[in-house]
Amino acid sequence: MEGRNTIKTHTVGIFFNKTIIYLILVPLSLIATLPFLWMIAGSFKTGREIRQVPPTFLPQEPILDNYKTILSEGRDELPLGNFYRNSAIIAIANVIQVLFTSSLFGYIFAKFNFRGKSLIFWFIMATMIIPHQVTMIPSYLILAKLKLLNNLWALILPASIDAFGIFLFRQFALSIPGELIDAARVDGASEFRIYRSIVLYQLGPALATFGMITFMTNWNAYLWPLIVLTEQKVRTLPIILTWYSNQHSQQIHLTMAASVLVILPVLLVFMFTQRWIVKGITLTGIK
Amino acid sequence: METPHPTNKIALPDFLSRLAHGRDSAQRIFILVTVIPLILYMAFWTLFPMVWGLALAFFDYSSRRAGGAFLGLGAENPFIGLQNFIDMFNFQPDAPLQVRQFHSSLKTTLLFAFLVLPLNLSITLPLSVLIENTHERLKGVFRTFFFLPVLAPSVGVAIMWGYIYHPQRGLLNGIRTLIGGKLVATNWIGDTSLFFLGIPVALLAIIFAYLWQDLGYNLVIFIAALQNIPESIKDAARIDGVNRWQMFRHITLPLLKPTILLTSVFTMISSFQVFDIIQVITSGRPDDNVRVLVYDIFENAFRYQRMGWASAVSVVLFILVLAISIIQTRLLKTEWEY
Repeated sequence: MEGRNTIKTHTVGIFFNKTIIYLILVPLSLIATLPFLWMIAGSFKTGREIRQVPPTFLPQEPILDNYKTILSEGRDELPLGNFYRNSAIIAIANVIQVLFTSSLFGYIFAKFNFRGKSLIFWFIMATMIIPHQVTMIPSYLILAKLKLLNNLWALILPASIDAFGIFLFRQFALSIPGELIDAARVDGASEFRIYRSIVLYQLGPALATFGMITFMTNWNAYLWPLIVLTEQKVRTLPIILTWYSNQHSQQIHLTMAASVLVILPVLLVFMFTQRWIVKGITLTGIK
Repeated sequence: METPHPTNKIALPDFLSRLAHGRDSAQRIFILVTVIPLILYMAFWTLFPMVWGLALAFFDYSSRRAGGAFLGLGAENPFIGLQNFIDMFNFQPDAPLQVRQFHSSLKTTLLFAFLVLPLNLSITLPLSVLIENTHERLKGVFRTFFFLPVLAPSVGVAIMWGYIYHPQRGLLNGIRTLIGGKLVATNWIGDTSLFFLGIPVALLAIIFAYLWQDLGYNLVIFIAALQNIPESIKDAARIDGVNRWQMFRHITLPLLKPTILLTSVFTMISSFQVFDIIQVITSGRPDDNVRVLVYDIFENAFRYQRMGWASAVSVVLFILVLAISIIQTRLLKTEWEY
């Protein structure tokens, strides 16, 4: 993995000229960021300016009132703290449990032999091609029976096993030298100790990468939370944002500010960790 | 793999020691205490919902009605055999609304996926080659620009694009008004009478926004694949006097083929499952011309409580995804690099 980024590509060419490449790429990357910029600009506009036809791009007299309205008590308040907390609880809990189960079972499927192993492994692999929407309705009915609807557990309990994670970590665990594990056994290390201190250590970079992707998918998840979290207090950020936007369809300056508050902080975090996310995607092709 | 090692002197509960005898008892116990919970978990949270979901497709099931003793099946939720699937083939104009909505959902989903795929590839492939040809230090910068939308929550992206397409306050109509000099107030998402080349304009607008968010995925995959092409092959070609275009056409493209195939399958499968952007951009009430299968499942199951019908639709979605996966394994007989 490390090696291939260092391969230098030749840049001198007949067909593509450097200047032409930049003349194409620079405007395109501006267009790619334009929607974000327009949204941020909009969050500083007054309600009157936002209704202006034709619309302005930059705020004529930038104000912070939209943010104040959202964050202060009142009819248009959006207690973001709660929803950040809900989203964070779910995302962190799922990252921890998915990393644990994926690395543990990836290691087990790579390095152990037991009866029924290939049957179990292929069953887990086969579940990957089944769209989540097929099991969505029964899972909902199960959670309703367990009285776990409108409870954050509804997003954590059914999400302990990630088939793709097991597949991925099995691939990595295959390359852990067997001698290393056997040496630890001779030294008297317990099996769980071997997993904890040798296997987890060897899988370190993959854990970081897959952890970031798991966090991102959970943080951004929409459909399943929309189904199982219908009460205000347990909602996650994406759900609350659409709810707020539908409530304030005539005050889009407020929704724009709300969207900035929801999107921007995580976007910044993801931007600094994108190295791992990109690595994970290129390594695996997952979304 | 499993070499003999000193006996592990661990006091075991009786039932475990009978299962885990011999020299590898520590390993056996380790397997038992980890794999048994895994099996139980998968049986309850994966296998059981899968079978139940499939079964529901053969019932007229609603969670509101009092059903039979077993999973609420039977009694007021009667078994109707293949009726749901037979109804799907009712193309009469007087077919029930849910059937007609299923037809439009299926049509839109296929249209969506088959438009997104070629558009996505025809942008990401050339773009990745361009980015690969910039200065080493700028590569990361450009990649970030195009990758940023991938990181943003799809809900936020959908709200943002909803405003860009807003008839009066939207950026798009604003730009058109500025350029044209006279007021335009096209209702991009809401006007069902607008068509371009026979495709609903609302769907095209949504596809554009979807592409904008989704491009970064395939882009980074292609960039990585390009960096993977051995320099020696390119050097050999250069010695033979190959120009840039020939290089791309006869060397880069064939070497990228496995990657292109793989990303095509992923792009296709995720387009079949599009939901967030459509539900949000239409404020939860998509017109029939932008209605997709997952929305159809969602609405039938959780708004109208027609869970039997919704399960039948989800089986159709599963068949679509399965078909693509089968084609993938057929085509991917060649080695691939990731």
